[in-house]
Amino acid sequence: MPEPLLLTEDLTRRFGALAAVDGVSLAFEEGRVHAVIGPNGAGKSTFLNLLSGELRATQGRVRFRGLDVTRATPDELSRLGIGRSYQTANLFPELSCADCAWLAAQSRLPSSMRFLRPAERYSEVAARAARALEACGLSARRPALAGELSYGEQRQLEIAMMLATEPTLLLLDEPLAGLGHDEALRVVALLTEVARGRTVILVEHDMDAVFSISDTVTVLVDGRVLERGSPDQVRTSAAVREAYLGEEIA
Amino acid sequence: MTRRILLLASALALGAVAFSGDRFWLQFLGKAMIGCILAMSLDLLVGFTGLVSLAHSAFFGLAAYALAGVTNRLGVVNPLLTFPVCLLAAAAAALIIGFLSLRATGVYFIMVTLAFTQMLFYLFNDSPALGGSDGLYVAERPVDSRAAAYLAIWAALVLAYLLLARILRAPFGRVLEGIRGNEQRMRSLGYPIRRYKLIAFVIAGALAGVAGYLDATLYGFVNPAQLGWRQSGLILVTVLLGGKGTLYGPAFGALLLAFIEHYGERVTGHWNALIAALIVAVVLFLPRGLAGLGQGGRRA
Repeated sequence: MPEPLLLTEDLTRRFGALAAVDGVSLAFEEGRVHAVIGPNGAGKSTFLNLLSGELRATQGRVRFRGLDVTRATPDELSRLGIGRSYQTANLFPELSCADCAWLAAQSRLPSSMRFLRPAERYSEVAARAARALEACGLSARRPALAGELSYGEQRQLEIAMMLATEPTLLLLDEPLAGLGHDEALRVVALLTEVARGRTVILVEHDMDAVFSISDTVTVLVDGRVLERGSPDQVRTSAAVREAYLGEEIA
Repeated sequence: MTRRILLLASALALGAVAFSGDRFWLQFLGKAMIGCILAMSLDLLVGFTGLVSLAHSAFFGLAAYALAGVTNRLGVVNPLLTFPVCLLAAAAAALIIGFLSLRATGVYFIMVTLAFTQMLFYLFNDSPALGGSDGLYVAERPVDSRAAAYLAIWAALVLAYLLLARILRAPFGRVLEGIRGNEQRMRSLGYPIRRYKLIAFVIAGALAGVAGYLDATLYGFVNPAQLGWRQSGLILVTVLLGGKGTLYGPAFGALLLAFIEHYGERVTGHWNALIAALIVAVVLFLPRGLAGLGQGGRRA
């Protein structure tokens, strides 16, 4: 059994009386793709936002490589090696693809408090940005403004920016949401490639994609863990069918 | 390319005026160039970082008062001493005010900077020991010849431009551009953005302090109106008029405003109305300011 890279203990987030995430204790092992699924309002996005530091936990802990990161800010978590992509395009619309990837790659300098040497002379940053764009099939789109990319390309750029920060854990928030069939296929292929040898926590609605990519699937319902197991176990679980899949299919 | 030639020609022309010996032009263009430094340094915040600050006049005024204080009370005149002291005073004030204001964002940030500016204004305006509403004379100026003061201002303007252009091309400048575009995303990419904003705020504030020091040197006089928010508002208008996020645009905006103010006064006592009309026209027809008249010029 590999070491858990990320561990949540009794993780809870309340909004007023509503517990969006309610006492979730999960271990995410290194080198695997973990999917988190569940019906709308199950708390998947809240869960991801707790892991990336965008929301503060009301209760419970998050440990990353044994380190308590419950109170860490998004920039601290990113520097520790947790990268995330966003559900809706969260880019720099006025910057080119190349510049978006550049900013992501530059974040791995020990510090960007560098005032004199022109940025373009940092060749390791340029190389990192170029690699990430290449890996996501965007090399030809370098000069295009992020705001003018197609929906699918924006998603590719999201993933490129995440890769350019060289994370050890990837948090993917519905990478297929809103994509057409062909675009979705392209992004699934990209994700399969990206996931190889990396640790991924994936929140996604597209069941085919989830079952094909993931090693483990966790089902959240009303902020709680309903079921966890291999894709096959989850697919055949009666509780899951009742709570979620049945309703979705019907 | 044409932009570079235009900038170089303007800089040389402004420098040449120093040798004309004409008292009026030295004073007038000296003042205008101080406006250029103020506008360019505020552009670092407004145009490149997306931070609209109304505290810029505070750092300008504080450095000017610091010169008056150091000279009048301590009898220190030598610019090698007074300049660093005044610069540090402005930078320290920017560090404190920035640290507190940057806890707020958006319109709240604007309001907090406005509040600090007004606090300082009333502090100087209402304290007889600090000159009160009449202001203070600088007993002895660090540079007594007007031509020398003019040259110092010119050199400061050129250096400020080169420094800002350099910073903006460096990794630091890229981060500011990212913060302007999408602050939250910059944070999730691993940048502690408040720290970057604070450093930008201090750099801009220190340059405003340079302008204030030069102003007090040129006029030998400081008054609380220079600290007030109206002055901040005017610098902000200059930046928007010239074209935010271009660096050279706000500098030309400051020159243009100086000329309008001067010649407009001859035409009508209501020259402010001329400026107002110009601003409305620019906002409506040139959203990128006067710099938008030329070609693109996204980065300085």
